[in-house]
Amino acid sequence: MVARPELELAAPVAIDLSREAAGVSARMPDLLMQARFVANTVAHGIHGRRRAGPGETFWQFRRFQSGEPARRVDWRRSARDDHLYVREKEWEAAHTVWIWLDRSASMYFGSNLGLARKIDRAVVLALAMTDLLIRGGERVGLVGLMRPTAQRHAVERAAMAIAREPLTDDILPDAAPFGRFSELIAISDFLEPLEAIEPAITAIAGRRVHGHLAQVLDPVEETFPFRGRTEFHDGARGLRYVAGRAETVREAYLNRMAERRVRLKAVTDRIGWSGLIHHTDRPAQEPVLMLHGRLSGNADIRPAGKPSEAVS
Amino acid sequence: MIAGLPLAFLNPWILAALIALPAIWWLLRLTPPRPTRIAFPPTRILLEIDQREETSATSPWWLVLLRLLIATLVILAMARPIWNPQAVTTGGDGPVLVVVDNGWGAAPNWPRIFQTADDVLAEAGRDGRPTLLAATASDRAIGAPTSADETRNRLAGLTAEPHEPDRMALGPAIAAAVETHGIGEILWLSDGLAYADGEAFAAALRDTGAETVEVAAPETGDLPLALGPALNETGNLKLTVLRADANGAASGDIRARDLKNRIITETAFSFAEGETSAEAVVDLPVELRNDIARLEITGEATAGAVQLLDDRWRRRVIGLVSGETRERAQPLLSPLYYITRALAPFADLRESPDPNLTVAIDRLVGERVSVMVLADIGTLIGDTRQTLDDWIVDGGVLVRFAGPRLAGPRDAGDQEDTLVPVELRSGDRALGGTLSWSEPQPLAAFPDDSPFAGLPIPDDVRVTRQVLAEPAIDLYEKTWASLADGTPLVTAVRRGNGWIILFHVTADAAWSNLPLSGVFVEMLRRIVDLSGASGGDAATGDASADVLRPLRNLDATGLLSAPPPSAEPIAAIDFAETRPGPSHPPGLYGEPEAFRSLNVMDTGTRYAALAADGLSITPYPDAEPRSIGPWLLALAVLLLIADGIAVLLLSGRGLLPTALRPKASGLVIALAVTGALAADRPGMAQSGQASLDADDQLALEATLATRLAYVLTGNPDIDETSRAGLSGLTAVLTDRTALEPAEPIGIDIDRDELAFFPLLYWPIDPDAEPPVPETLARIDAYMKQGGTILFDTRDELEARPGADGSVAGPGMLRLRTLLRGLDIPDLEPVPADHVLTKAFYLLRAFPGRWDGGPLWVEAALRDPDEVARPARNADGVSAIMITSNDLAGAWATDGDGRSLYPVAPGGDLQREMAYRSGVNIVMYTLTGNYKADQVHVPALLERLGQ
Repeated sequence: MVARPELELAAPVAIDLSREAAGVSARMPDLLMQARFVANTVAHGIHGRRRAGPGETFWQFRRFQSGEPARRVDWRRSARDDHLYVREKEWEAAHTVWIWLDRSASMYFGSNLGLARKIDRAVVLALAMTDLLIRGGERVGLVGLMRPTAQRHAVERAAMAIAREPLTDDILPDAAPFGRFSELIAISDFLEPLEAIEPAITAIAGRRVHGHLAQVLDPVEETFPFRGRTEFHDGARGLRYVAGRAETVREAYLNRMAERRVRLKAVTDRIGWSGLIHHTDRPAQEPVLMLHGRLSGNADIRPAGKPSEAVS
Repeated sequence: MIAGLPLAFLNPWILAALIALPAIWWLLRLTPPRPTRIAFPPTRILLEIDQREETSATSPWWLVLLRLLIATLVILAMARPIWNPQAVTTGGDGPVLVVVDNGWGAAPNWPRIFQTADDVLAEAGRDGRPTLLAATASDRAIGAPTSADETRNRLAGLTAEPHEPDRMALGPAIAAAVETHGIGEILWLSDGLAYADGEAFAAALRDTGAETVEVAAPETGDLPLALGPALNETGNLKLTVLRADANGAASGDIRARDLKNRIITETAFSFAEGETSAEAVVDLPVELRNDIARLEITGEATAGAVQLLDDRWRRRVIGLVSGETRERAQPLLSPLYYITRALAPFADLRESPDPNLTVAIDRLVGERVSVMVLADIGTLIGDTRQTLDDWIVDGGVLVRFAGPRLAGPRDAGDQEDTLVPVELRSGDRALGGTLSWSEPQPLAAFPDDSPFAGLPIPDDVRVTRQVLAEPAIDLYEKTWASLADGTPLVTAVRRGNGWIILFHVTADAAWSNLPLSGVFVEMLRRIVDLSGASGGDAATGDASADVLRPLRNLDATGLLSAPPPSAEPIAAIDFAETRPGPSHPPGLYGEPEAFRSLNVMDTGTRYAALAADGLSITPYPDAEPRSIGPWLLALAVLLLIADGIAVLLLSGRGLLPTALRPKASGLVIALAVTGALAADRPGMAQSGQASLDADDQLALEATLATRLAYVLTGNPDIDETSRAGLSGLTAVLTDRTALEPAEPIGIDIDRDELAFFPLLYWPIDPDAEPPVPETLARIDAYMKQGGTILFDTRDELEARPGADGSVAGPGMLRLRTLLRGLDIPDLEPVPADHVLTKAFYLLRAFPGRWDGGPLWVEAALRDPDEVARPARNADGVSAIMITSNDLAGAWATDGDGRSLYPVAPGGDLQREMAYRSGVNIVMYTLTGNYKADQVHVPALLERLGQ
């Protein structure tokens, strides 16, 4: 028996998961997000803009221009010749990264083949990414849960926010206040009808948001290891399907899943988003590492294992 | 009864329920097996799949059929069907002779035999035929033919008898009856067993000339099992179980009961395929085995399945106690070695279970030994003497061997050793030594009234050393064996019901070569035979002129009850040849305390199924209706299990879900780990320092490092001097030798465990109370286990010459009272060639604070032929050393290494010598005779070099 007759709808334990997330993110290299879009935003961050501006990294010395406040003069440099110099620093600005966490009932599925329920894994993923991004100086917001912030304790706030509202029936939020050039990490099982998913992500992409779809699936959903007379039911939607011999349905089901994947990939490819599939029987480090790679513009970083193969 | 079938139903109306079967069929068709329910979020995707497989709405036909069959079987079983074969009838005409076996073998089948005989007689009565009845076990003659009713009355008076039938005794009578009464039909209702004469009797019946001879016998599976005689062996009791036919019962249990009919044990037996006898083993300690009075096959209610045991089956238990405990290391030097080898084949030996003599003897007496051998035990401490005395009066046989301890000198204040048959002279007598003209003595012939009478005297036995008896008038009567010069070698005295026997030589080959000879084995054997006589004497010896009256007798079903009126006494001398019969039913004969048992089955008894040549044997009609309802129900249950398996297979799952397997093993591992953790926990708790009690603390301190130890006397001055002295010696040892002892430790001789310390320094306080007997027993055990005690009387300065020339200060007098209770061998001042004088330093004397007192050690047995050697080769270490020089006083130093007490007569040389004495003593106790062997080192090295 690989699956239980009912979903286990216990809320994910935020504290434990945030600790696990901290463990995952602690082993990741610092995430320096690629400055993909140069935008005029006043928010402070550490993405060099290749031009002078407010920041911490040395950019260049330039001649002092009269009229400037005298305190800008870099006296140490100026002492070396006859001119006055001003030390300019590189303009550093932060990205805003939105993380959307699917908390619908279907995410609460977990089988004996997986290490954890999908929701647990998704929360770990979200918190680890939050931690990583904030360490990297970005602003991170949780769609529907937390406004973008760069504060250090954002991870704790995120965990508490998830714990307060563990179960919703939201679908991909195309009405959320995504700013231009912000990034979106959507963590979900994407088991909704593709007819609903496709317009939503197209609409979000239309607001010049760059996105990453992280699909979290249980191995059972991917391999369909059922045999014999079986009744499948989806409590949240009240759906029920009785298979006289489950093994006969397997082929069709697997085909159907593969077809959905191809369609989803077609959509993401069209709008330039990336996607990845994570199975709960694999460690959580793998998707974090892949997202790390995507966000830092270094898509070559791939985990050794094969199941989380990149789609884009 | 259904036509054509011997089948009937007790509750036929329940069969009406069969009408409901179609309804059950209809219901079963409509309810398919329930599917497994699984929560599955992508159910929507499954629903999107076009290809929808038709699920089976009904059960498969064969499953329905299976369930209908189950229902049918249950209904049939509820109707209580009976399988009832027809009863047999007889044919022919003329008078009918019914021969009935009513021996013990008929007991289990007696109702059936009786019923058949009754049926046959009733049928003969209906036909108006005259009848005769003969019972093989109780009849010797046959009367005239009578009417069937009268014969049936006679039959009603017959019972199964507990002995074997004597069929051939009836043979001539039957032949005569056929002749005189013209008997037309002989019906032999046998019990199916051949006994001694079954075939012969069958032939005799065939030859009588009767028109028809019919033989009926129970089915071979119904024949009883028989229990052969028991064989009491060293480790267990062996039994033979017999079955009449190789197709009989295959296994069973044997139950052993004691005299009060309480169950002692049960043991299983099983027959090998095709074998008619099986062996069963009752594996019990011998004390429990000796309690067995009755062995029976469980569930067999016949006299042949019972064996009654009497004293002849008891094994003697012999306790062995030695004054030495070094046999562990050197078995050939052990005094008990030859005794063990001599006695082991025919008795159960109990080695001394505890080094503490008092405890050992108490336990051996508690184990109900019948003979106890004390090898060279000189002094018995405390209550032990009384314990042994009571045991001897109760019938125990005490065998003692002489030795250095027994021969040791006695002081006037010593309690007289009452546990010897004759009064002994102090000291031993050596024959053939350097200072003696006498030759080693051979044995004289055994006196006629000695138990050893008749044993051959070997020529080569020589006694070189013995303890001598004080001459007395009754010495001759007490002497069982003597030497050629007339001095006694073995003396014995009867006390109460028991004996005290003393060998005047040692049990090992040190004093004589008697233990090496075969006659030694025979002598011991006869002594052991004496011991069994405690109970058996009355039955075999004293009562031999008498007869054994029936005490309790078995009936045919194997129950013991009051003897029947026909039972007659048996002359004791004929008992061995007596076989059970009408006048001697099996059972117990004799007096309640001393009885002999008479059993149905003997070693020579034949036990086989009856095979009648030329006569066809028909089984007894099975009069008992057999209910087949339970069988139908069992079949239904089996089918139900099959149905369950089929349902599991139908639902597509294996019999054991695969996902469960790793979980199950994980659970097992988890349980095991939990158990291991739980088991560890007490151990962990104990390792905590806080929970250590004082005993454990002492044990840890004493064993984690080698320590010198001194006995606390209770006098603070003496104790402090001992501590300071040993502390000083410890410092010297650490400086000069490889031994680095930890700080010395003071121990409470009454309470603390002594076994940890190789050397115990015991300063004698003249004012101290003498130790209690339990403490003496502990000291005795400590010394015999290899510990050494160094007594220091510290009174050399005050010692005055005593009456007998020896010095006797107050400490020495106190020490003598103390040692009086101990088993101390001969002592001597350290001879010049003793290992002590060269264990580390070469020493001539052993001074302490005083000079001049000798150091006494155990006297070694000297070999007169020994050539002079630099160091005497003495095995072991002296268990006792006595000095009066106050060694601790000379050793004592304060914290800065300054001496506390002056030495007398004085000088640094004397203090140095005192330290050297201490070093030698410690080295001697730790290394034993190692230094004595060192003298051979040059020779060994030379040999190795070649």
